[in-house]
Amino acid sequence: MIELSSLLEVSLGHYIFLGLFLFAVGLLTIMLRKNMIVMLMGVELLLNGVNTIFLAFSHFSSHTEGQILVFFILTVAAAEAGVGLALAVSIYKEFKEVNISFFESLKG
Amino acid sequence: MDAMYIGIEIIKMVVIFLLMVQLVPILVWIERRGSAFIQNRFGPNRVGPLGLVQLLADAVKFAFKEEFIPGGSYKFLFLLAPVVALIPGVLAFAAIPLGAPFSLEPFEMFGNTWGPYDLKLQGYDYGIGIVFVLGVSSLAAYSLLMAGWGSANKYSLFGALRASAQMISYELGLGLSLVGILLLYGTFSFNEMIAIQDGPLTFMFMGKETIIPFLPNWGIFYQPLGAILFFVSVFAESNRLPFDLPEAEAELVAGYHTEYGGLKMNMFYIGEYGHMMVASALMATFYFGGYNLPFVTPEAINEMFTGMGFAFNGASLMTTLVSHLILMTKVFLFLWIFIWVRWTLPRFRYDQLMDLGWKTILPWALANTVITAFVVVLMRGA
Amino acid sequence: MANNPIVFFPLAFVIAVAALGVLLASNPIFSALFLVLSMVCLGFMFLAMGAFFLGGVQLAVYAGAVTVLFVMVLMLFDLKDNANPIAKGLLSRFLKVSSIGVFVGLITGAVSLTKYYPVPVKAADPSSMESTRVLAVGLFRDYVFAFEILGVLLLVIAIGVVSVSRIKGGTHDRA
Repeated sequence: MIELSSLLEVSLGHYIFLGLFLFAVGLLTIMLRKNMIVMLMGVELLLNGVNTIFLAFSHFSSHTEGQILVFFILTVAAAEAGVGLALAVSIYKEFKEVNISFFESLKG
Repeated sequence: MDAMYIGIEIIKMVVIFLLMVQLVPILVWIERRGSAFIQNRFGPNRVGPLGLVQLLADAVKFAFKEEFIPGGSYKFLFLLAPVVALIPGVLAFAAIPLGAPFSLEPFEMFGNTWGPYDLKLQGYDYGIGIVFVLGVSSLAAYSLLMAGWGSANKYSLFGALRASAQMISYELGLGLSLVGILLLYGTFSFNEMIAIQDGPLTFMFMGKETIIPFLPNWGIFYQPLGAILFFVSVFAESNRLPFDLPEAEAELVAGYHTEYGGLKMNMFYIGEYGHMMVASALMATFYFGGYNLPFVTPEAINEMFTGMGFAFNGASLMTTLVSHLILMTKVFLFLWIFIWVRWTLPRFRYDQLMDLGWKTILPWALANTVITAFVVVLMRGA
Repeated sequence: MANNPIVFFPLAFVIAVAALGVLLASNPIFSALFLVLSMVCLGFMFLAMGAFFLGGVQLAVYAGAVTVLFVMVLMLFDLKDNANPIAKGLLSRFLKVSSIGVFVGLITGAVSLTKYYPVPVKAADPSSMESTRVLAVGLFRDYVFAFEILGVLLLVIAIGVVSVSRIKGGTHDRA
């Protein structure tokens, strides 16, 4: 189906697979890890995977809207990471705990 | 892209790295003798003439010291931090042009003819010189954090957190004070910036081109406030006095490199002096004309050497050497100013430092940007 | 230059390994450092892809400020090393991993069965500013409204963050 020699020549499919891998690992990090900060790191990985795919499409065609959208995503993701960290710091100051299994019950 | 070109590029990368590392002992010697001169004492003068061999003796001493890794520390991070301290400095230093490009005519070697080459004294020439240099120099915060955390020592951790908070606060001022330069020159690339800064001072005033014949066209005359803000921010970026609270000996023993000794400590110093060298080279490139003398273009120097009887290759090589020496003179001048300020001013308190970064430098850099934008639009027209 | 396998495969390998390191490292600080590694290598890959300005911004903003914040916050928290960082329950783990696996498999299959790929453009000259100029024209002329809204959004976020994390006391508190 797919020969090895054609896999060696880098094309759009390679970049899409890389972005997809980052997206999948980010999703798995959010789903599987229990530490709040590590979940925020998973969100950053998600956004980077998406950035890669946008830039790959922009590189392989002659459209530059991909780069403009990546610019916006980069900025908003950085700001949202700041907000998430500020909230995490506030939660830690209050409860001394960043493990989300501590917050699973509505109590107190 | 033949084998000779790739070979030359590889050798160039190695030479640039070695240049940065080998300038550090010279800088340390200048610092020790210069600080002694400022403080009215002698400094090292026993080992070798004028104390020049002192640094070699120190290097040998560092190499033979006992390797000590603290007990409860994270060993991998502890050993990785000095290595990471070197990387951003070298990457940034390689992006700055250190001399005029020199061209080789086709020549014969090993039975093949290697074509005409146009080699730059730069590791790599991306069109986005400034943004790349800002990006990699902000990676220097990680070596501090890894050293502070990996030492399993509360004082180191405090020093590391203070140092990285200081670094990311002053990066804003650094970037914003460079926006004025970008608006003025209209390009990111270092080579083009150096090419714009030649000839006498020329600007458009009220629609008429005004030339001041006795001043060179350097950036410092267009952006004095930006230059001052840049210089102050770059002091804070390389953790030099008066911003060296992370290493404040009276408070924190030695900050983030408390637990380090021997060659690992030396690598932190190489990283710090490397940042100073990058900062001096940037200052010379943006505001003082880079590798050119005022009113003299590299072509004129090339013609002078051709007139003296050198061949094409030889004249080009001599031009490159002369421009490299000019840049190194300017860099050493700024390095001397770094050392001079270190031994003259007292240290800032931490809240004074952060107030300065956020409440003074950032608003002034914004004002500089706005004023530059207005002036550029009004004076040059649409 | 990005179509060169010598550049792509090592960088992609390091990015993939670093992303897996974020997921699997038990100490959260090692997760953060693996994230830094993947950000830096992604920045270099963006540079290789011809998006020079965005590569520089990725290095300066993401790798140089956002992940520094992550690492600083984790060092301030001083968490104990967690023995089992991954959520418990064999069935829930299996369902999560397998659903992501199905998703990845679907898209990989879709991409590999595509018959038409866009033709790669010729590699951008590294010393030209063309991609940056086109990006700037797009931002400031075609999409300027979104750009300005982004500025307002960032201002609101900055005010919000400062007001969420204020504490009473400190040297400049006047209340």
